Amino acid sequence: MAQTCLWIVLLPLIAFAVVSLFGKRLPRHGDWISVGAIIGSCILSIPVFTALLKHGQIFDSLSYPWISLPIAGGSPYQIVVGILVNNLTAIMLMMVSLCASLIHIFSVGYMHGESRYHLFFSYLSLFSAAMLGLVVSDNLLTFFICWELMGLCSYLLIGFYYQKPEAVNASLKAFMTTRVGDVGLFMGLCGLYAVFGTSNFSQIYEMVQRPEYQGATILGVSALSFIGFMVLMGTIGKSAQFPLHVWLPDAMEGPTPVSALIHAATMVAAGVFLLIRMYPLLQASHGVLEYVAYVGAFTAFFAALLAIVQVDIKKVLAYSTISQLGYMVMGAGVGAFAAAFLHLITHACFKACLFLCSGSVIHSVHTQDMREMGGLRSKMPVTFLTMFIATLAISGLPFFSGFVSKDRILAGALGYSMGVAGHWLIPLLGFSAAGITAFYMFRLIYMTFFGAARDEQKHHHAHEQPFVMVFPLMVLAGLSLAIWFAGPTGIESLDRALSLHWYDRAMTSVQTEMKISAHHGDEHIAHQAHNLALIFSLLLAGGGILFSSLVYLKEKISAEKLKAAFGPIHTLLWNKYYFDDFYIGILVQKVLLSWNWFLAKFDDLFVDRVLVDGWGNATLFVKSVVGKFDDIVIDRMLVDGTADATAAGGFFLRILQTGKVQQYLILTFIALAFVLAWMR
Amino acid sequence: MSLIDWATGLHGYLFIGAMLFVLGIIGILSRKNAIGILLGIELVLNAAGINFVAFSKYRTAMVEGQVVTLFIILIAAAEAAVALAIILRFYRLKQTIDAGEANLLRN
Repeated sequence: MAQTCLWIVLLPLIAFAVVSLFGKRLPRHGDWISVGAIIGSCILSIPVFTALLKHGQIFDSLSYPWISLPIAGGSPYQIVVGILVNNLTAIMLMMVSLCASLIHIFSVGYMHGESRYHLFFSYLSLFSAAMLGLVVSDNLLTFFICWELMGLCSYLLIGFYYQKPEAVNASLKAFMTTRVGDVGLFMGLCGLYAVFGTSNFSQIYEMVQRPEYQGATILGVSALSFIGFMVLMGTIGKSAQFPLHVWLPDAMEGPTPVSALIHAATMVAAGVFLLIRMYPLLQASHGVLEYVAYVGAFTAFFAALLAIVQVDIKKVLAYSTISQLGYMVMGAGVGAFAAAFLHLITHACFKACLFLCSGSVIHSVHTQDMREMGGLRSKMPVTFLTMFIATLAISGLPFFSGFVSKDRILAGALGYSMGVAGHWLIPLLGFSAAGITAFYMFRLIYMTFFGAARDEQKHHHAHEQPFVMVFPLMVLAGLSLAIWFAGPTGIESLDRALSLHWYDRAMTSVQTEMKISAHHGDEHIAHQAHNLALIFSLLLAGGGILFSSLVYLKEKISAEKLKAAFGPIHTLLWNKYYFDDFYIGILVQKVLLSWNWFLAKFDDLFVDRVLVDGWGNATLFVKSVVGKFDDIVIDRMLVDGTADATAAGGFFLRILQTGKVQQYLILTFIALAFVLAWMR
Repeated sequence: MSLIDWATGLHGYLFIGAMLFVLGIIGILSRKNAIGILLGIELVLNAAGINFVAFSKYRTAMVEGQVVTLFIILIAAAEAAVALAIILRFYRLKQTIDAGEANLLRN
């Protein structure tokens, strides 16, 4: 089974290599290779998933030694990478490969005729390979590598229309902002190796239960808390949680299928998947989960508020994504990690559907501004119907998937605050966000599909999309029904007798595998919370829809008057709480630029002048000394001196060379006389 | 020791040898005439011969010294023949036998 998973990852990777190298010369620019590869992955995922359905629990792993580091005086340290197939993996594999396949198919229609068509598909394939690789990784190291690869693909695809300066800025912003979180995750990874000596998930699940690791410290703080916070930081960056959420709305500059695949269904959910993979560690560390819950709850609420005032159809969905990711993070934080994971899956389906529908609308009317749409219901019936189903799902109405998962998360949050005193803010924010979600999603539907056409020309040209584009919409809308996940209605007490309960069965064994203790001890409170949450969420969703209908469908309440009544709040939301202004104006321009200025000065004054020029001057000085020495001592004294001495000696000796034998003889005798005198 | 004894003993011969030697050297050094120089050389050779004979007679019982003297006389004769031939050729060349004029190898 692990071997199958290897091929699931390798197929899109091979497609990436082939399409990026030869795509231009292939028929249809090689889109069939990318699409075929991901559909192949999807088909290979099916037996893994059905095995889970059949047995309720699967486990398989494969490992390869990758790097061997020599250690002085010991056996070499092995970095082992591998594949872990358990229930979480199987569910994620199915979801990712299915969503990716449908979005690939949709892209064939959406991107038709674009320049760099083959590059788009090669990036999509690389992304799919990275995401699937992340899902099957059995250790945080390869997880992190795939994580970064996805960041790269995200960057490339947001900036796909590189002629547009907004797209270039957005891609840079996304890359830089997520980098902040990635640095955190990398530090967490280093911490894992420092404390546990491994990053293998199964081994970590084992180790965090032991007291000697629970007491370990890094730089004076608890090691587990440190790693937990770093993991949370990675999640905040990737899943666009407060305060690093600013990149996701801008990422909508990319082509819409990219927004659907990367910035809604899969990549941004990787942060939540990380939390779930590392859940035993987070649970063993003290206090981290509390922060996780607050970050999630706050993000869910404040991003939902932002979605109300947006007029760009994709930006509404972007803020909605941030808000829903906040739900998942909150769910993980309050201990309802099974609910969080379920929401990850259901959200992927209905949010992909919403994004693809918005893509279909944009493709049809050539604008993203909802104020120029309206009345498209009759022109695009399939798109409208599928989007409506997905909207019902995200709003959390019964019979739809969003209800199942969101209800469980909210129940978990409520149960958490009932069990642990003082955390009433978490469910409050969560429930408020549920109401707001229903409001802004119906606002989107009403503004786009209902009422009179606000732009006659655009409305006139609008048309339903070809089958290759509407087919994925229909499949995804079908997957937004509750029946796939829990039962016909999604209300647990009603469905208990009917449903297959495959998800709960799978999650129970995951909890055993991860050695997670069920900490919400009181069964009674949990039950009570569940019923309360059910009532509250239904009331709030209904209220949101009702209010939205009054404002945007019946127009009983004027949207303009509401805007005027909430003037300052509207301004605040319209300016996205001034986060961008803060980051660009203060952090980038004031802090980073002054730091830049300082570094430039340091470079100029110290590095260039003192070090570089100083070294040059020192060399010059040494050069002059050496030159003088060479000139005076070597050349003049030694070389010329030898020559002069030889010449002088020659001049002197020449006097003796008269050629007169008698003179020589006299000298001989004089010399002899000296020798004899000396010998005496 | 009387002057006669001194003169008839070894020292007398050595004195005569030394005188001949010095006279020969003076001849070699002072003469310009090549034949004069040759004569000086002959004197020096004979001074050496007298010394050999004298030492042979007074200091050993053997006759090697006298035999060596005979060789010296022989060599002196051969030398004189060669030298005179050279001088003759030199005279033909330069119309003089002044040794100072024998400077063809100079410069």
